Amino acid sequence: MTRVLGWLAAAGLVIGLVMAFVIAPREVTQGHVQRIMYVHVPTAWVAYLAFAVVFVASIVYLARRSATADRLAHASAEVGVVFTGVTIASGSIWGKPTWGTWWTWDARLTSVAILFIMYLGYLLLRGMIDERERGARYAAVLGIIAALDIPLVHFSVYWWRTLHQPPSLMKPGGASTMPAPIVAALLVNLAAFTLLYAYFVARRTRLLARQQQALA
Amino acid sequence: MPDNWSFVIAAYAIAAVALGGYWRRLVRLERDVERRNARPRRPR
Repeated sequence: MTRVLGWLAAAGLVIGLVMAFVIAPREVTQGHVQRIMYVHVPTAWVAYLAFAVVFVASIVYLARRSATADRLAHASAEVGVVFTGVTIASGSIWGKPTWGTWWTWDARLTSVAILFIMYLGYLLLRGMIDERERGARYAAVLGIIAALDIPLVHFSVYWWRTLHQPPSLMKPGGASTMPAPIVAALLVNLAAFTLLYAYFVARRTRLLARQQQALA
Repeated sequence: MPDNWSFVIAAYAIAAVALGGYWRRLVRLERDVERRNARPRRPR
């Protein structure tokens, strides 16, 4: 199953690249640099998804003390941190030619940086506590608290005046105004990166189970 | 606006290095666990 997910993700990423560089047209205002969107937006979406999974799995862990839920939260947080890092890096690279700066402390960028640091802290916390049950409990509490930043990140572009543009797809109460080939390329890449997330989490979760068995 | 292909390539390259690096890390960790499990355990 994991292997199938991996191959599906690889195929999806290849198709996504073709969509991003061949099918999607050159954007009129920004030129080809807009093609960064096809990696920046999907990785941001996966980061939201990953931390939402941490939130739900943490609640399940605290309610039922399920080791599976704990492993899922741990794996999802780790993968989420990787994807958030890619989101920040690709956004910074996109920002330089379009805004004239690599970084600015606007509400969207700052809230994403806080999200990144909180989940890094989550992983550090897990690594610091040797006693598995106690580490899992503390991490679950932090996983729930840190997830409160997700709506802040998403709605920051509406609640504050920001340099960052509003969401491309998930606009509250409004359809996208982007041309169909751009939307299609974005959706294919969203699906491909989501598959990659599922593959990484499945593999990491299984690995955590084997590591715990080896230590037991 | 100029096309800035170097920025596009840099963004995709960083994504490939980060995600590929994570995949390699998982492969390495799996190999470590397999090696540890294959080692005969000392009787307690």
